[in-house]
Amino acid sequence: MAESLEEDYTYSGDDDDDDDDADPNDYYGDECMEEDQEPVDEREPDPEYFEYKCLTVSEAKTFLQRQVEELCSKLKVDKRSALVLLMSHGWLIAELENRTEQDISNLLIEKGVLARHVPQAKRSVCGTSCSVCLQRKPRDEMKALLCSHFFCKDCWCKQFEVLINNGIASDLQCMAIDCHIGAPEDFVLSFLHVETIRKKYDKFIFRDYIKSHYNLRFCPGTDCTMVAQADKPQSKRVDCSKCKTSFCFNCCGAYHAPTDCETVKKWLMKCADDSETANYISANTKDCPKCHACIEKNGGCNHMQCSRCKHDFCWVCMGDWKFHGTEYYECSRYKEKPDIVNECAQVKAREALKKYLFYHGRWENHARSLELEAVTLGNINKRIQEKVMKNEGTWIDWQYLLDAAALLAKCRYSLQYTYPYAYYLESGPRKKLFEYQQAQLEAEIENLSWKIERAEKYQRGDLQNQMNVAEKRRQTLFKDFFPT
Amino acid sequence: MSTSAGLPRRILKETQRLMAEPVAGISAIPAEDNARYFHVEITGPKDSPFEGGIFKLELFLPEEYPMAAPKVRFVTKIYHPNIDKLGRICLDILKDKWSPALQIRTVLLSIQALLSAPNPDDPLANDVAEQWKVNELAAINKVLTVLDMI
Repeated sequence: MAESLEEDYTYSGDDDDDDDDADPNDYYGDECMEEDQEPVDEREPDPEYFEYKCLTVSEAKTFLQRQVEELCSKLKVDKRSALVLLMSHGWLIAELENRTEQDISNLLIEKGVLARHVPQAKRSVCGTSCSVCLQRKPRDEMKALLCSHFFCKDCWCKQFEVLINNGIASDLQCMAIDCHIGAPEDFVLSFLHVETIRKKYDKFIFRDYIKSHYNLRFCPGTDCTMVAQADKPQSKRVDCSKCKTSFCFNCCGAYHAPTDCETVKKWLMKCADDSETANYISANTKDCPKCHACIEKNGGCNHMQCSRCKHDFCWVCMGDWKFHGTEYYECSRYKEKPDIVNECAQVKAREALKKYLFYHGRWENHARSLELEAVTLGNINKRIQEKVMKNEGTWIDWQYLLDAAALLAKCRYSLQYTYPYAYYLESGPRKKLFEYQQAQLEAEIENLSWKIERAEKYQRGDLQNQMNVAEKRRQTLFKDFFPT
Repeated sequence: MSTSAGLPRRILKETQRLMAEPVAGISAIPAEDNARYFHVEITGPKDSPFEGGIFKLELFLPEEYPMAAPKVRFVTKIYHPNIDKLGRICLDILKDKWSPALQIRTVLLSIQALLSAPNPDDPLANDVAEQWKVNELAAINKVLTVLDMI
């Protein structure tokens, strides 16, 4: 129902590209429409545009199978060899297809697909004692990989079960000491009789394939099994077609434009590390002017004694208490240079902290606003419902409010992620430009939020205009600062 | 023999052999109440900084043994780049290079060899490794002070 309405809405000729929908074709559709209406846009491609597909597990398996077969025919090798080669080269067929035969066979030896020397029949073939469980076994229960290290069925089975339960699947190896011959899937499966462990093996093997693939990524959504596929891996937004999670293709974290993967990772780590503690420390403590121990004031008296170095000082002016008493209340007099405080390195640390808290505060604030605006969206839905019930227009008439809320969320999300970018941006004209555009965007977003919350007082045209302005601001910032 | 009931044959065999043919400089004796727990003593190898020392270790065979590596830890304090303050050992065969074909005996031999040839390039105790690389003599002296031999 909702989808058909949305379509109607798009056909009504509005050029707002609300791309909540993950279908890449919609992206494409939007672009085509914009081309028709605003040919100006064609010259500058949308920096957020990204071509990708969402594959189900079986589609992804088929795709991988095809790649294996392609390499098989190109290199004239068997499937197992092709698979191992692909996994060790990020599934880049181009990197492998022009290698010499010698190169390939060296690679296969290194990866444990081929044995370096053709092994002679080992003693253990004749004897029937397994060197792992130290038990005598009938000869037909002794199995080996191509390295001819024979072990009994039970030991192979136990070994594989233990390792698979630890999450090891594609690099299962021979049990012999220092033997790196890998165990192919059919070999492993021949020992796995419990259904749950077979399933686990299958799941982990597939995980290893995807993890080693240069242009496939798992959707990070909870319990989601979809796999995103892109032609060129880039740090751009992917919206999962199944669970609707939007994530960065490159790092699989939450989508973070205009900040890049490295920076956002650094930022999130920093936030996880010290935001709250740092906040408290900054607000409630000062450092001992002598030994720089962090001191929390726990009483009213301003005569402080550092519990570590026993230094006496004044909490207000941070000067030595010894010289403090000579003149009554000297620290209430304004001094040009409170040099003791300024000189210490700790001041710099506090300055850095202040900067961090500035950006972190704004980051957090926008995150909270996003949550609150989700509540607003709920209210909008309720209001629309009421209006439709009272026959004040149809559902479609009020659809623009939902679009406005969606756009607001998108803009605010981008705005939130401009703060880590700004935090790590070096001072200079570029930072000035960035901050200018950021401020412009922020202002328009707040206007939009204001108007959405008071939608009754504003005309539809007014709101729509505000939406356009905000989105334009966002795009301007992205065009300048988010690499295509 | 009641404690060894239900114990895999492999562990029984290994224990018997450890008792019957002990390795020079290494003793491993199973605890009375737990056949998977061993009290180990390794004497410092000859011509190593650890010569003359006797090091106590504990060794535990987990449920999955021999498919999973035994857990081994130094109980005696030791100054060594691959052993940390808690006595944990950085040794590949105790981690990803474990093979079910390895035995308690081979593990203890490897640990003994680690005492003869510390490997400061793959450190667990970073400060010790640094000292070992910068000034080996000073590091060895430190070994001796920890051993209470100077």
